[in-house]
Amino acid sequence: MRIKYSFLLALFLLLIPFSALIFGQDGAAASGETESADSLALTLPAPVTNLKAINTPNDHGHSFTVTWDISADDGGGLKNVLFYRVMRSDNPDSSFKQRGENKLPRGASTYQDNGSKRKESDDFSADFTDFYYRIDAITIDSNVFSSSGIYGPVQSKGEWYNTGRTPVLVAVIIFLILTMIFVALAKKGADLYIRPLAGIEAVDDAIGRATEMGKPILYILGLGGADQIATIASFTILSRVAKQVAEYQTKLIVPCYDPIVMTVAQDIVKSSFMDAGRVDDYKEESVYFVTQSQFAYVAAVNGTMLRELPATNMYMGKFYAESLILAETGALAGSIQISGTDEIAQIPFFVVACDYTLIGEELYAASAYLGKEPILLGSLKGQDMAKAAIIVLMIIGVVTANIGGETLENFRELFKVIN
Amino acid sequence: MLLLTFSDIGLIVTLVIIAAGLGLILKLALKGKEIDRRIIFIFIFFSVASPIIFQIKFSEKATAVVKSIYDKIDNLPEGSKILISFDFDPAMAPEVQPMAIVLGRHALIKGHEVVFMSLWTTGQSLLTEIINEYILPDFPEKQEFIDYVTLGFKAGNEGVLKVIATDFKKMFPVDNNGRPLDSIPIFDGVKSCSDFDLVISIGGGKPGPKEWILFVTDPSNIPMAVGVAAVIAPQMYPYYPAQVLGIMGGVKGAAEYESEFIGNYERFKDMKTPGLLTMGPQTLAHTVIMAFIIIGNIIYFRKRKKEAKS
Amino acid sequence: MRKSSLMVLATVATLFIVSWIFKGIALEDIYESNYLQGFLLTFSAFLTLSIMSFLYKDNPFYKFSEHLFVGVSAAYAMVVGFWTTIVGNLVPRLSESLSNFFQIPYQEGTYNFFYYLPVIFGLMLLMRLSKKHGWMSRIPLAFIIGTTAGLNFIGYLRSDFTNQIAATFIPLLGAAGEWKGIGDFFSNLSLSAGGQLVMMLSNWVIFLGVFCGLIYFFFSREHTGLFGKASRVGIWILMITFGASFGYTVMGRISLLVGRITFLFKDWLGIIS
Repeated sequence: MRIKYSFLLALFLLLIPFSALIFGQDGAAASGETESADSLALTLPAPVTNLKAINTPNDHGHSFTVTWDISADDGGGLKNVLFYRVMRSDNPDSSFKQRGENKLPRGASTYQDNGSKRKESDDFSADFTDFYYRIDAITIDSNVFSSSGIYGPVQSKGEWYNTGRTPVLVAVIIFLILTMIFVALAKKGADLYIRPLAGIEAVDDAIGRATEMGKPILYILGLGGADQIATIASFTILSRVAKQVAEYQTKLIVPCYDPIVMTVAQDIVKSSFMDAGRVDDYKEESVYFVTQSQFAYVAAVNGTMLRELPATNMYMGKFYAESLILAETGALAGSIQISGTDEIAQIPFFVVACDYTLIGEELYAASAYLGKEPILLGSLKGQDMAKAAIIVLMIIGVVTANIGGETLENFRELFKVIN
Repeated sequence: MLLLTFSDIGLIVTLVIIAAGLGLILKLALKGKEIDRRIIFIFIFFSVASPIIFQIKFSEKATAVVKSIYDKIDNLPEGSKILISFDFDPAMAPEVQPMAIVLGRHALIKGHEVVFMSLWTTGQSLLTEIINEYILPDFPEKQEFIDYVTLGFKAGNEGVLKVIATDFKKMFPVDNNGRPLDSIPIFDGVKSCSDFDLVISIGGGKPGPKEWILFVTDPSNIPMAVGVAAVIAPQMYPYYPAQVLGIMGGVKGAAEYESEFIGNYERFKDMKTPGLLTMGPQTLAHTVIMAFIIIGNIIYFRKRKKEAKS
Repeated sequence: MRKSSLMVLATVATLFIVSWIFKGIALEDIYESNYLQGFLLTFSAFLTLSIMSFLYKDNPFYKFSEHLFVGVSAAYAMVVGFWTTIVGNLVPRLSESLSNFFQIPYQEGTYNFFYYLPVIFGLMLLMRLSKKHGWMSRIPLAFIIGTTAGLNFIGYLRSDFTNQIAATFIPLLGAAGEWKGIGDFFSNLSLSAGGQLVMMLSNWVIFLGVFCGLIYFFFSREHTGLFGKASRVGIWILMITFGASFGYTVMGRISLLVGRITFLFKDWLGIIS
């Protein structure tokens, strides 16, 4: 008895999709506006059309992107489609299961079906395996729905190269080529011009002033580690300052925040003294380690400033919240102050409290200008060319923006990076 | 007859005292007397303390950058999923906590499903405090795990973001109380951050809003709003409006949001508005600072003129 | 110790005790451990005032508070780092017995043995403490620098470079790229924030700002003539940005002061509700 009922029920359920195909459109045409909502719900809606499922591009696999055109009764016609259900099976004939926890709201026409990559997961979706998709357009009664045709088989797979990131690759390659060309030119001894920077011109005067006054020069390398670009740029500037200090026989004080930075700074100052032919004047204790606690370091340096009253304070490198405290104390002590950092948030403080400030990239430029290292010079030139390219792109972009429409969209598309 | 409230009287008294003091300073300065910096501190203290005592409030109107966040939350369909990350510490709290409170209230009153988390160690206790003491008492009907969930703090900075951008449960297998995410209704159908309808990061340091943009929302095109400490607000503007839909900068941003919120929700008409209250002292202190800048410049130019003459 | 210093110390101590007692009594109805709460509140207020006293001049109270803060935050960061990074992230993926020891759920996974790598790297980083084996710390350091650079690379290039360039493609004539002629422009002139004129002006500011800013940071040419003029505009734009940044910072700092004063007036002195 029970088997018989189950059989009838299964037959009935199987017939529903067919009935949708047979009666769906006629029903829609016949339904007048006078019909009540209840009876509308029971009328089968038109199924979705144009169903497609593809392997989601540019991912690690285990995912499909399903698209379809919404049912004619979604928003129009009978207006009885409230939800969609994405059904998937590994067999085109049976065992379709709903994907995702929730049904999709009406109006939806795309679904990204992400399965798990873990085999032990219930949601595991194997790559390189055939799957079949079907979309159900569902009415207010979830038992009344019409299914689309079956699409498949499709297979998911992961990709090695993410085409969405091509603009980044192109930008990197262009920049790399430019840099390499200029580094090669610099190595060959080509004269690469770098404009003079006010902050760096002032260094010479400041050292001269310190010598005249018989007061020391305080050089701060910032809070960055030895691996940070700002600190590396600062090393080059320190080398130049130390050389001049050795020639003028002025006192140099370099309190350090980082022990590794201190070791490097000692080497640099020593070799600068050697270059100047005054290695006997070099004192190791002039470059010393203070502490690795931010504000304790500031307190110690401030103390030094107020006791020694240096003629010139130089702050080059990575600075954080301590920038204003240092620069303000230095200004109170009456020193000439030259600063440079690439930490954008701290530049305003240096600008107001110091006499000269190297803003952001100027710090790198200063080190290239002073050091004349081919790699630094070359990369600076490469960056300049990249900036010129950006300016050109900007102008083209602004022109296309005024033309608008497709031209702009196509041009913007070139810069679009997708995950 | 003109009726003056307690705040109005306070405001008038404060303004009179400040104006008299500033006038005196200008007079002394013009005579060539050095002004001790501590005098400036006293003025700032007074101009901040007095509005706090008298509860002086000024009206605010939401600017476009703030309004866009408000509109986004208001227009999302009920039941949308919103992720709010509290990336700040107690030192930053006076600035950004008002944003956290008002955003939480707004998201819950609109019936959204809200997930709270933090990338800062010290954010954990603030998170619990803000939710339990400020937000939930107004919403006794809301149920944990269905309407909101607290994931707490996760160590790993940008690493956390990089992972949750593609797989949420890998980084957060359990919530704050050790309950598996798989058993929490809000996380039905949530695989990664892309499944949220809006992500909001409130903070100002690192990791914070910028890292959210770089690692999560910009790559996956997820709608993103930020509430930031004033210091880094200018650095957020380049991302607006393409990469973030709105910015609340400092306590001013919070105050604007609050005024928009209390103006539109009768139920919260009389709620405490820490952002708006902070704008009272702000306005007076800024006025005093501007006055000092003007006085300083007058003295400077007079001095320069004298030097040029001699 | 001088007599005046002793007197200051005695006064502060007396005030502290008085505040503790008063606060304890006031909190009797709210907390069970009212005297402990009273002490904590008084101590917070004392620390706040000690730090603020620096504005008058440097003093031992300020130094005490500062050192306490540095010490406590270092210790807090260390403890939290251990419990969240090592116990929270590493242990549950490393071993089941260790997870049971720390009473946290073990996370089973196929590739969990990979998590022994960070353990080894961590130990190598600690080798920095030894003079002889200090070189070993460079290997994990190189790994950290390399992976961070790689991870950041795409993110920065996408969000801060290509997307930012694309964001400067804005129409300079007309608000949304539709220029309907000068007649239309003047007949629909409006000064509202959403109006065509204001939108156009802000687009011009963005375009010229980026353009001149880039010129300022162009190092291969001397900044003379027209180029120099653009560079001058660039530095002006930079300075205006710094000014805005400074203004925002002032606002931020005042907010923090409001936070502290509210604490003093509300939680400690109880003069506002």
